Amino acid sequence: MDVKTSLPIKLLPYLISSTLIVGCLAVAKLIMNWLQGSFPAPLLGMLILLTLLLTKTVKEHHIAPSAKPLLNFMPLFFIPAGVGFIEHLELIKQQWQFLTATLILVPLTSLLLIAFVIGLFKGRAEHG
Amino acid sequence: MDELGWLSTIVIITLFLGLKKLNAIIKNPLLKALTNPVLMTIMLLALLLISCSLPYSQLANDSQLLTSLLEPAIVALALPLYQQFIHIRNNLILIFISCSIGIINATVMATLLSAAFDAPPQLAASVAALSVTTPITLLVTESLGGIPSLAATMVIFIGILGALFALMILRLVGVHNHQAQGVAIGTTFHAIGTAAVLTEPQKISAFASVAMALSALLTALIVPLLYPFLSQALL
Repeated sequence: MDVKTSLPIKLLPYLISSTLIVGCLAVAKLIMNWLQGSFPAPLLGMLILLTLLLTKTVKEHHIAPSAKPLLNFMPLFFIPAGVGFIEHLELIKQQWQFLTATLILVPLTSLLLIAFVIGLFKGRAEHG
Repeated sequence: MDELGWLSTIVIITLFLGLKKLNAIIKNPLLKALTNPVLMTIMLLALLLISCSLPYSQLANDSQLLTSLLEPAIVALALPLYQQFIHIRNNLILIFISCSIGIINATVMATLLSAAFDAPPQLAASVAALSVTTPITLLVTESLGGIPSLAATMVIFIGILGALFALMILRLVGVHNHQAQGVAIGTTFHAIGTAAVLTEPQKISAFASVAMALSALLTALIVPLLYPFLSQALL
């Protein structure tokens, strides 16, 4: 196949998928702007795209070409934000007991509670 | 953005991809969790900035290109969510309920601890959405008025704790049901905890993946509504 004609065809799936993703994000931002709420727009965008997928309006393969690399490299996009804690070192030092207690008790209670609730319905058998 | 700006973006990418490659070689699940590449990259960058006394605002400004991709990436999370939803049709209600209970517990527990320790409001809001994957924590925490970066670091730490101890604790208290183990680990310890049970029976990791995806959705829906109410009542 001629490279000149095949290149746009190869790029088309990326164009479609990124347009869909950015489109959902833009619609979500417009809605949140209109509602003046504090709900994060990207999360609303995720819900819109999920609804489109569940209603089969959009198919998996329509968004996969751009979604896959975005998801694979997602940590890169929040690492800079993660470093931001160094601006609050003083607060962390002051409140380390509170933070340590939270770090242990919050996940521990959730873990046991969820396991207990499912155990209640499914029994404690090896294969539920 | 100048040449130096590009340099910090390249440093972040190289550091993370290098550490990820190194982490992939490690076979021991304990060591693998401890050398989590996201946490290592964040800590190394933090050390670098502190030791060179560089301001964080510079890094934040220079890495805008990377940060701007977070929003579309979060929208793209709809894909794994959808893929996981197909698997849970039979168990939908039970998983839905137990996931919600876990998330509500995490927010209530965190707010109770904030009240007990008399934590400042900004800090209380920072620990209200810890039972979810890091990018969602960032957004939800910001909308609650907390410190997103602190919440993100805590979530990663929690994930590592879960990878190390979760299955051990569940077996210790006599929970052997694979669905219970998987859903509890996926909801509480998100991606890092789920990755750690991939070597366990397939059913555990499948349920963990489902619960992880569902908790992203449920946290986004529940916590922004629940927390303002709780903080009014308790703080």
